[in-house]
Amino acid sequence: MRENGFSARSIMPRDKGAAPLDFVIAVMALLAALALGASMVAARAAEGWSSGLSDRLTVQVLPPETGDVQAGLDAEVRAALAVLNATPGLAQVRVLSEREIAQLVEPWIGNAGVVPGIPLPRMIDVLVSPGESVDVPGLQERLKLAAPHAAVDDHSRWLARLAGLADTVRYAAYGILLLIAGATAAVVMLATRAGLDAHHEMVALLHQMGARAGFIARNIEWHYFLSALLAALAGAVAAALLFVGLGSLEIFGVEAVPFLPPLALRLSELIWLAAVPVAIAAIAWVTARLSVLSVVRDFY
Amino acid sequence: MVRFENVGMRYAAGPEVLRDVSFVLAQGSFTFLTGLSGAGKTTLLKLISLAEPPSRGLITLFGEELATARRRDLPALRRRIGVVFQDFRLLSHLSVYDNVALPLRLAGKREQDYARDVRELLSWVGLGERMNARPATLSGGEQQRVAIARAVVARPDLLIADEPTGNVDPEMGARLIRLFAELNRLGTTVLIATHDRMLVEATRGREMRLVEGRVVEMHKARSA
Repeated sequence: MRENGFSARSIMPRDKGAAPLDFVIAVMALLAALALGASMVAARAAEGWSSGLSDRLTVQVLPPETGDVQAGLDAEVRAALAVLNATPGLAQVRVLSEREIAQLVEPWIGNAGVVPGIPLPRMIDVLVSPGESVDVPGLQERLKLAAPHAAVDDHSRWLARLAGLADTVRYAAYGILLLIAGATAAVVMLATRAGLDAHHEMVALLHQMGARAGFIARNIEWHYFLSALLAALAGAVAAALLFVGLGSLEIFGVEAVPFLPPLALRLSELIWLAAVPVAIAAIAWVTARLSVLSVVRDFY
Repeated sequence: MVRFENVGMRYAAGPEVLRDVSFVLAQGSFTFLTGLSGAGKTTLLKLISLAEPPSRGLITLFGEELATARRRDLPALRRRIGVVFQDFRLLSHLSVYDNVALPLRLAGKREQDYARDVRELLSWVGLGERMNARPATLSGGEQQRVAIARAVVARPDLLIADEPTGNVDPEMGARLIRLFAELNRLGTTVLIATHDRMLVEATRGREMRLVEGRVVEMHKARSA
């Protein structure tokens, strides 16, 4: 005889205490979605920090110690520019103006202006063409020959530290995401099992009336899948709205957290948040199925 | 229909509650199971309704020897049995109508095919006006009648009832017994566990008496 799969809602009662459990699942979904979003922001920030500096070089030309300092500086800058312009793979070579240099040193010497008579080094900002790499030691040698007081800084020292920091942030975010995912899975499993305990008698009755284990499991797992999906969806939507809200702040010129990368998620990243309710519903579904089958297996 | 051969039953490491029980319930028979409390009546009903396996001995049900039956075949055997539980076991979130229709739904029947039968049966047991009520709003006797209606609605080959008239007035008790007798006339084998001597004396059928886990008597309860 065929068993008819009538609606899960008709066979499964609304759990006593289901609302608090739904709330807990929604909160766990919110936290998981926030952790997932934060890990994406951290990964993007780490990539941005690296790429933002790795395609740049700075050439610093120090004033000569003897002779006409200004004339010597101008001559060495021209010589350095000639070398740089002849170097393949560079997209842009630009000498920073005195005003820009003054702004750079302002944190150390204040905004009262540079002391007359004390020349500042000249800075040349070099942008490497996308996908190109520059032989920094070779460039350094050629510059030394043309301009003895020129030095190339490829930011490798900062980049290494920044890359380390970025990796730390990224892996910390992944770690938190894993912890929250684990806690979410545990809470969903506990909630599902608690619900099933309350329905043990009903499962026993259906079994006694000749319902197959698969039929009972299908009805109950569907109930828990749907409940968990709806609750988790609410949590994930709340997280998505939070990220969209942070994006709106940035549009209005309000930085959510200074010095940090934009916290708003792109649309392609927001879509990933949908994985959270799907994963939570899947955990509830699998837990319910395994629990029901385990309960029915204990019956004769 | 039902054959027990030297069946024994104990729960875990406890004492045997059924000992060397042997009997045959012929197809279409009507039998009362009697005995004092603790004699093993409920355990015997559990074994026949496939709620528990025996600790020893052979049980044959519908021609199938249970010891060699495949586990996946047991649900189909259970669906041929209607059980009236002493504690009713109604699903509290379902209406009276849905509780009674449950065996038919489990059997894959469509509502348009059984709705009329369910309503007629509920009218017969005096609950025609309470079809949409939840079990919690019913009296003990009304709940018992719902449990009986649920057990008989699919016209099972074997009907087992544990004290089915314990909570109803004599008039309704007689009415329910007439329902069982009618089912029996249509071919259902009926086994009723009861303490009610008057019921046993007033009804055609056989009596199987249990004393301390053994069948001590098997005789006609009343001559036809």
